[in-house]
Amino acid sequence: MRCGYIADGDSLFRQSIHPLSFKSKVFAWERCLNFNHNPSGSLLTSLSWQRYVPTTELVHDYGCRLAFRINEKRRAEGKTKDRNRHVYCGAYHLKGSAIRALSAADGLNEILSADVVHRAEDGEIAHADLIIVLRPGGEVNIEGTKTAILDRLWNTCHGPLKHICDCDKDITVHPSSDLITSPAGPYSDTRSYFLRLWYIVRFRICSWLWRSFWLWR
Amino acid sequence: MFNYFNNVYRQAIAVLATSEAPDIDASESYAPTMQIHQASVPDFAEAEPIMESLILGTTSLSIIWESELTHEYQDLGEALSEMTELDAEDEWKIDAHVYDAACYVAAGLMAYSLPAPRIFNHGPKSVVFNWAHESDNLYLTISADKMSALISSPERIKRRIDYSLSELMNPSLVLSSIKAAYSEKPVKLLITGAMYDPSELVLVD
Repeated sequence: MRCGYIADGDSLFRQSIHPLSFKSKVFAWERCLNFNHNPSGSLLTSLSWQRYVPTTELVHDYGCRLAFRINEKRRAEGKTKDRNRHVYCGAYHLKGSAIRALSAADGLNEILSADVVHRAEDGEIAHADLIIVLRPGGEVNIEGTKTAILDRLWNTCHGPLKHICDCDKDITVHPSSDLITSPAGPYSDTRSYFLRLWYIVRFRICSWLWRSFWLWR
Repeated sequence: MFNYFNNVYRQAIAVLATSEAPDIDASESYAPTMQIHQASVPDFAEAEPIMESLILGTTSLSIIWESELTHEYQDLGEALSEMTELDAEDEWKIDAHVYDAACYVAAGLMAYSLPAPRIFNHGPKSVVFNWAHESDNLYLTISADKMSALISSPERIKRRIDYSLSELMNPSLVLSSIKAAYSEKPVKLLITGAMYDPSELVLVD
C-alpha cells in the first residue's frame, strides 16, 4: 500500500479562509487558489489529500485547524483581534488528474510539469504541495500564466463544501454563506459505502505508519 | 518606464449603430456632449446593455448606458486607487506602476464602451480584468510593462495573447487583436513581443 503517492484519480481539497479568499465581503475564487512564485521558477500552493482526510468531517477539521494556526501566528505577532480573525468557510474539491493535465493543456506551453506531491507540513499529514514548474528560458509572462492556471483549475473544481467551525459559531453572518458554486458544479461524494470504509481504514493505517515514521525520525 | 495616463475621466457619450450624424435637436440637454462611435466594438463588448441601445436606437437609452458605464469605470478607478494605498503585506496591494498601466488600459476599454470588468490580482505585480460572457471568460492580466489576454471556456483555453510594452501604447491595436482572437480559430499562442516559435504566430488583421 503506497501511502505517499497521489494518484490521478485521488481527490484533493482546497480550503477557503476568510478574509484570504475574499475581497471585502465578496468571495473571490481566484484568491482561493493563489500561488506563491518560487525564485526557482516554480509556482506553489497547498492542498489537502483525501487519503488523510477521507471524510467530509476530516476535511473540515483540517480547515478549522488551518484557520486556528493562522490566527495563533498573527496573535503572536500582535495582529489578530477577535473581530478580524481568520475564519474557515469550506473547501473545494479537485482531482489529481486535473492538476497533472495542466502540463499538456493547449495554450499553456510554458508549463514544463504540473504535479501534486504529498508533503506533511505543520504537523498536518494531509498536506500536499501543488507544484507547477515553468520551462526555463524565454520571456514567459508569469502573471499571465498564473491567470491561465487559475482559470483551468477553477473550472475543474467542485464545491463548495461549506462549514462553520465550532469556534466561529458566534459569528452572526458567517462568510461561508458567500462561497459560490464552482463551474464544475457542487461536490458529490460518489464513493460507495464500502469504499468509504476502506478509505477510513487505509487512513488509519497510513496515519499510524506516517506518525510512527515522523516520531522515529 | 512609460508615463501612463494616471486618471480615467468620465465623459457622457452615446453609442450608435452608425457613423452618420444623428438627427438630434440641439436644444436637447445631452446634445452638447454627444459623440458618435462606429459600432466596431469587440465581441465581448457586445453585452446586452450595449446591444439593447443599438437595437432600439434611442439616444436616451444610450445615454443612460453611458452614464452607467462611466459610473462603473469610476468605481473601477477608485478600487484600483485603493489597492495602491493598502499596506505592503496586504494580498490586494498593487504597485504604483501596475496602477498606472491598469488605468491606461481601463481608459482604452472605456473608450471602446466595454463594460467595466471585475478585478483581482496575483500580488503587487499585476492586476487582472475579468469579464464573464455566458460560460466563457476573458481576462486581461496587466503588469507594469506587459499585458496578457486570455479567452477561455470551461473546457479549454481558446486564446492567449501576450502584448509588449510598445503595443500597450496603442490600445486600439490591442483591442482589435483581442476581437480577432475571440473569433473561432484553432488554439494558438500569439506572442507579438517575443516569439518562441514562428509556427505559433497568428496573424491578426
